[in-house]
Amino acid sequence: MTKQNRSRRVLLFALVVVTLLVLAASIRFGAIDFSTVEITRALVSLLPGHPEPTLDQRILLELRLPRAILCLLVGASLGVGGTLMQALFRNPIVEPGLVGTSSGAAFGAALFFVLGGVLHIGASLWSLPIAACAGGVVSTYLVFLLARSREDGRASIVMLLLTGLAVNALFMSAIGFLSYIARDPQARSITFWSLGTLSGASWKAVEIVTVSIIAGTLIALRYAKQLNALMIGEEEATYLGVNVNRLKWIILSVNVVIVAVATAFTGVISFVGLIVPHILRMIGGADNRFLIAGSALTGATLLTLADLIARLSVRPAELPIGIVTSAVGVPVFIFLLRRRQYVF
Amino acid sequence: MLTADNITFRVGNKPLLVDVSVSFAPAKLHLIVGPNGAGKSTLIKVLARLLRPHAGRIEYGGIDVGQVSEAELARRRAVLSQAVEVAFPLTVRELVMMGRYPHFAGRPGPADEKIIDEVMAHFDVTEFSNRQYQTLSGGERQRVNFARVLAQLWVDGSSCRYLFLDEPLTFLDIRHQIDFMKKIREFAAAADVVTVGVVHDLNLAARFADHIVLLSEARIVASGTPSEVLTTERIHSVFGVNPTLVPSGDSGLHLIFD
Amino acid sequence: MGGSQSKIILCLLCLFVANLFFGGCSRFHNAPKSSSDVRYVVISPVYNEIIWALGAQDKVVGVDLSTTYPPEVKNVQTVGYHRALSAEGILSLHPTEIIHDNNIGPPQVVQQLQQLNIPMKTFAARNDSFDGTKALIREMGAYLHKEARAEELCNTLATQRTASLEQVKQYADHPRVAVIHFGRASNVYLVVGKGGGGDGGGVSQMVELAGGEMAVENRDMQRMESPEIIAKANPDVILLTSYGYDRLGGSLDQIKGLPGVSTSNAARNNRIYRIEENVLNYFGPRSGENIAKVAAIIHQK
Repeated sequence: MTKQNRSRRVLLFALVVVTLLVLAASIRFGAIDFSTVEITRALVSLLPGHPEPTLDQRILLELRLPRAILCLLVGASLGVGGTLMQALFRNPIVEPGLVGTSSGAAFGAALFFVLGGVLHIGASLWSLPIAACAGGVVSTYLVFLLARSREDGRASIVMLLLTGLAVNALFMSAIGFLSYIARDPQARSITFWSLGTLSGASWKAVEIVTVSIIAGTLIALRYAKQLNALMIGEEEATYLGVNVNRLKWIILSVNVVIVAVATAFTGVISFVGLIVPHILRMIGGADNRFLIAGSALTGATLLTLADLIARLSVRPAELPIGIVTSAVGVPVFIFLLRRRQYVF
Repeated sequence: MLTADNITFRVGNKPLLVDVSVSFAPAKLHLIVGPNGAGKSTLIKVLARLLRPHAGRIEYGGIDVGQVSEAELARRRAVLSQAVEVAFPLTVRELVMMGRYPHFAGRPGPADEKIIDEVMAHFDVTEFSNRQYQTLSGGERQRVNFARVLAQLWVDGSSCRYLFLDEPLTFLDIRHQIDFMKKIREFAAAADVVTVGVVHDLNLAARFADHIVLLSEARIVASGTPSEVLTTERIHSVFGVNPTLVPSGDSGLHLIFD
Repeated sequence: MGGSQSKIILCLLCLFVANLFFGGCSRFHNAPKSSSDVRYVVISPVYNEIIWALGAQDKVVGVDLSTTYPPEVKNVQTVGYHRALSAEGILSLHPTEIIHDNNIGPPQVVQQLQQLNIPMKTFAARNDSFDGTKALIREMGAYLHKEARAEELCNTLATQRTASLEQVKQYADHPRVAVIHFGRASNVYLVVGKGGGGDGGGVSQMVELAGGEMAVENRDMQRMESPEIIAKANPDVILLTSYGYDRLGGSLDQIKGLPGVSTSNAARNNRIYRIEENVLNYFGPRSGENIAKVAAIIHQK
């Protein structure tokens, strides 16, 4: 095994350890702190024959635990989404939000908030995530459709970027319009949703996001080699046997599903998809197999740390997590940009 | 044997290739020359099947290349381009290994690693193994790319292999240009290889090619040995310049331009 | 590059996380603030004001961010903005009951609280008028076993109201008043319309009782994006509620910079004033005397 491969394995192992440590901290700390003993007792109370859990234990089991796990999963989704987008666009300053996925999902949610009030749509736990997912899928599909050249049905990456920008602008102004016509409480919901929060975490949400991130990551890993080939150009990748158009569709679809599903449950959280691949590339190079696995772990860790800050800094109140990720993400990003060693 | 039959290629209403028919035999170096906009690059891309012609057929060893899958084709056909730009940190070894991608499914095997070692040694880029590709000079990068392309075409006992060169010398200095051409000629001499390239420099073409195809305004103007194709009248009518032809060494040819 | 630097970064990260994890070993639950066995988290400015007025504040362990009166309320833990609550945050105060006015969110958090069978209480009476407010005070008084005090408050409210209305008669003019409020959730300035604002139109009624006239016709609160709203209404007086006023640093120039304000009579005569949210925005125990306060502000020249 080459030296590079060996150091990557060590790195991935270290990342797994860090992720587990951060998960443990996330379960322990918050508006209420749980000691290890209390956590064990709470878990034990689930076994048959033991007394019903107390309120505190129920808080741990029904609020804290799913939240900590959902945070990992959403962080992983955003991290992998970012890596896939950057690989596809061959550009390190690209985010899942750029192809319209985040703004589409946000629009779906905003539409739900406004119409739901008017039409009294069954406010089941699922209506909002479904609306957001649908929005994300529609906006991304729209981008892809509009970016196709008329001659050969292919969508060049530059066209995708530009169309993505345009569609983003379209959906953001649509959201603005909805906020404008919304009655006051709904308008507030829209704003808070745009800042992102994990306070709505539930075990159902964990189930769904688990399926999406695991399936998405496995599919992405299968195409990792092709994404590597794409790094040297679309033409060169074709010469190496890659069906570039098909690769774009598949990876874009995976990205949409992963990110839209995550966004549906937590609102829009930015910057994670942007900085996670950067950090990984800095420490381990650009091989996509390493990047995809690593960005899942790093995204999970970073978002969990952000959530800890969101929950601990003003407790018992909470900051919206999008504020924390932006506050941390922007300086980190600028720092990365200025490092001369990191060649773009 | 690579044959092109009545190839026509258009972009919108503008024809880039009209009725192009030509054959390329193995063990020879075939070079396509012509003025800017003649369609040389387009022809190479059509021959390499990056582009599909609007009319006509390309056959690799008698088989219509349109019927062959991308993956299968990638095992026997490789293209060396003008330059390869990489947006992310990539080591030289990783880039050369990409040449083997069509040949393994998951991870590279020991055979692949060995091929990479050999091919990098052949092009003298072993010392760059762990360096970032982006930090190399133009000449060094092309050597690395050539190594990658050759790794892609590494002999595996199966049928004919096809190497295409799309103006690979553009960013190289004179020493590297000559060095490259020598290595290309060496490779092209193999009995199971068909090598077709595009170059701008008529002197290089005259010196190294076995067969020259002269393209002008989307059509083939002439096809044959260098001395057959590169006559004063033809060069004048196609390129608009007046050369003096000076014979050199064994049936070699130098062109001197005022 | 990569190798040693990345190892250092990872080491630091591990140390930081390990510290978080192990450093907290000796911590226990937050010590309870209230000694009685009833612990309320109250999420509503008017409910809190009434509870303090009734003298039952020792039972309150948590309030929302918008509750600002009386000043002592700042000594109580806040659980955040009423539409951006956190279930865990509220529950960390170990409330025996959550008292709210049906204006809490986000919906998932409300669902979580219901799922955990946390007792939640809303009072039936609504403070959308003086009579409604009295009913609310009595209802809360009964609930908190402070009936006598509740009666006192109602009487004071009635007498102060009568006194204020007398005072208002001395003013001859009926200024057209526009009320501008800053909505923290949507981060925008809002204009309160006739028949709207606060709980059940509190703002509008207060202004009218104080001898003014609401300059803007539309019901409810609207965003101030179009300059036409204020320009068309052309108010004689503009009131900004406290948070919004302070946010602009109290600078008249900045306030005149809001859409449509600069051309109004109010701007030209510099009749732009600050008013506490808890005086204007909802009917409560002090609304009797507040009428006079509002009148004093809007009638000044």
